[in-house]
Amino acid sequence: MAGSNEINANEAKKVVPLHTWILISNFKLAYNILRRPDGTFNRELAEFLDRKVAANTVPVDGVYSFDIVDRATSLLNRIYRCAPPDTDSGRQPGAGILELENPLSTTEIVPVIIFFHGGSFTHSSANSAIYDTFCRRLTALINGVVVSVNYRRSPEHRYPCAYEDGWEALKWVHSRSWLLSGKNPKVHVYLAGDSSGGNIAHHVAVRAAESGVEVLGNILLHPLFGGEERKESENKLDGKYFVRVQDRDWYWRAFLPEGEDRDHPACNIFGPHGIDLKGVKFPKSLVVVAGLDLVQDWQLAYVRGLEEAEQQVKLLFLKKATIGFYFLPNNEHFYTLMDEIKSFVTS
Amino acid sequence: MGPYDSSISPAAGSSNSSSSACSSSTKPPPPDQMDHLLAGAGYKVRSNELNQVAERLQHLETVMVKSLPVDISEMVNDAVYYNPTDLASWVDSLLTELNTNVTVPEPVPVNTDLSDLHEFPSGMNVYGSNHAPEMHGEFSQQAVTPLEEDVSIRLVHVLMTCAEAVQRGDLSLASLLIDDLQALLGRVNSGCGIGKVGSFFVDALSQRVVNSPENGVVQVELTAYENEILYHHYYEACPYLKFAHFTANQAILEAFDGQDCVHVIDFNLMQGLQWPALIQALALRPGGPPLLRLTGIGPPSNDGRDSLREIGLKLAELARSVNVRFAFRGVAASRLDDVKPWMLQVSPKEAVAVNSIMQLHKLLGPGPPIDLVLDWIRDLNPRILMVVEQESNHNQPEFLDRFTESLYYYSTMFDSLDACTAQPEKSLAELYIQREICNVVCCEGSARVERHEPLVRWRERLTSAGFAPLHLGSNAFKQARMLLTLFSAEGYSVEENEGCLTLGWHSRPLIAASAWQAIPKPSPATMGR
Repeated sequence: MAGSNEINANEAKKVVPLHTWILISNFKLAYNILRRPDGTFNRELAEFLDRKVAANTVPVDGVYSFDIVDRATSLLNRIYRCAPPDTDSGRQPGAGILELENPLSTTEIVPVIIFFHGGSFTHSSANSAIYDTFCRRLTALINGVVVSVNYRRSPEHRYPCAYEDGWEALKWVHSRSWLLSGKNPKVHVYLAGDSSGGNIAHHVAVRAAESGVEVLGNILLHPLFGGEERKESENKLDGKYFVRVQDRDWYWRAFLPEGEDRDHPACNIFGPHGIDLKGVKFPKSLVVVAGLDLVQDWQLAYVRGLEEAEQQVKLLFLKKATIGFYFLPNNEHFYTLMDEIKSFVTS
Repeated sequence: MGPYDSSISPAAGSSNSSSSACSSSTKPPPPDQMDHLLAGAGYKVRSNELNQVAERLQHLETVMVKSLPVDISEMVNDAVYYNPTDLASWVDSLLTELNTNVTVPEPVPVNTDLSDLHEFPSGMNVYGSNHAPEMHGEFSQQAVTPLEEDVSIRLVHVLMTCAEAVQRGDLSLASLLIDDLQALLGRVNSGCGIGKVGSFFVDALSQRVVNSPENGVVQVELTAYENEILYHHYYEACPYLKFAHFTANQAILEAFDGQDCVHVIDFNLMQGLQWPALIQALALRPGGPPLLRLTGIGPPSNDGRDSLREIGLKLAELARSVNVRFAFRGVAASRLDDVKPWMLQVSPKEAVAVNSIMQLHKLLGPGPPIDLVLDWIRDLNPRILMVVEQESNHNQPEFLDRFTESLYYYSTMFDSLDACTAQPEKSLAELYIQREICNVVCCEGSARVERHEPLVRWRERLTSAGFAPLHLGSNAFKQARMLLTLFSAEGYSVEENEGCLTLGWHSRPLIAASAWQAIPKPSPATMGR
């Protein structure tokens, strides 16, 4: 086992830059310690280890952030906005308040992305440093607003808590007067997420479609799907690029209702218990698949399922990308992704 | 409570230098600088250590793969971890835990060089108001603006404008705006949220405008008894003081490990609420309790009672009941800089702990009192200096900046109070906080004592004053979280911040606790001082 571990490490080191390798390996090993074999999770140590950052209303690289707690649900959302260009430095204190009294724009369309962070439903928060940094980049990229949702995590809060929280966040975003934009004002909402966040985005979009709530598009970054079957990619890539199948299984057991298996529709979208999306007013989707992610066959099956349901979907397949490639701007996949996201929300 | 924005003027010379949106610099950074890519992820690794860290990570994995998962779980239960931001030392501590024979190629540098610390000015929490029931069934695609949110935003807007007018000296405008504010307050629920805290700020502003906008007001002094009542209610209504005491005691206990004669110097004895727990913990110490001396500093009594002595007697009684040899000494001083080290009668044989819970900021007023006090603290050679402070910048030179930041800080604090429904009697706790607000907003010069500064500033100060950090670890973190479960409100959060612990409401830290030890001064002979 030790020998193959070194081989795996060397394989991974060849394809990812050093910084990324350090970052993802660190998470991998810390997470190994946090997951207990009996299915419980060492939340105390997880919170201790998670590097968090506070919101910052002083613009940094043109983006500022603030947190809002919705009293009705106790849900925290972190809002990221672009600073108005002329007041970037030497900001008048209190000037920002005016921005919340007005819509984002009365002439232009300003995209609002509701972002669900990853972490296999278990790890990280909206104020985790890696996600705060990512959301800032996203905000600057789309020149719009990003709302990062601090949804409840498993195993303390299993299915469907995360989906409920996502749905509440969507409703909340739609009802903010200060997120309106365009000549016919409405909130131009996209849903996005990486890993489990992508899974949440899908389910929130389904509920939105069923309820007649508009979502303009879904951006799923190596979303977390699965099933009882073992796909070829799972077998081939098991343990090779930071992730083992047994880890994935642990997170599904922690998220799904007790006693359920991975063919549960939360996990296996187009599986034996999946719903039929044909004829549903589902948003267009951008699905990003990392070619070295062992979950890819499930993600590709998801894309096929959307296509068969005659939904609009674009697949961005990044052959040499591993999970987490988007955390650091030190590889070509990152820039490809950013370009794709930008055109997705502006088309 | 409506959303509102806090604009804190960037502190001089600091812009957050975490990874920018699209940085593709081709120039290699100086080798021993902190890597900026990993800094954006919250980790501090020197650029010239990257390969080393990678190797250690790989080694760690090999070791973990060999270990049984159940062994790893057990190891984790017993181990204590420190400062996860320092990735290299984190990996090393794991390796050590797993009992490997890893030879460290070179000594792991103890990172007391804080010059690379990036300043993160504190942000704010903003709260959505309670929604009125939606108008069109469960959900409407029309943007429904809850009325209260509108008024809340307006209220904050006018508060800011008024504060700005005060700063400019435009008192007639300020007065008009205060009338506006009173009217707005009438339209919100003044029992909670922005209504409650807003009214305190409106009060404070109008006091300032009416009385003396330039020189500030002088707050009415309360009797010692009145102060004690307010303090006690604040202590009960929310966990901030308890967290401070609890965390401090943990750290002090550890610092006193193996010491037979210990001396705690408390910069603000108050009712001595912190000490029974420490006395009891020392009583139960394996190997038996030390001789404990406690020196309590407090203001001279203005009502004829000698409250210092009274508290001392009570604590002595408790110590006697648990067989801890105990001696108490009270030092009456109206300001900390009135205290002279000889009054503390520190003996060279004792281990000293200096305990400052929300006191040091009072020394940041005009003059050099803070430097003088830190200097004599250092001369005492304490094994630990425990510092707990409000995590906010209420000491900025511009009035409007202070006003803005304190508005958000205290709104957050009030929100947390609101959520503690188990405590019905909150008005006196609120009054305690209100006096702080008043001091920040209305007072100037030496009367303004609530000069809170955030952790990043205290780190700079204490490091320049010759102190090195003692990291608070995962055990203190875990126990602080357990303490919080005793409070009914969910929303309190403990966070680890490079060896310090903060307690906050949701994602906004409000109180920061840090521990320090004095770096011995170089001897006069060698330094020619």
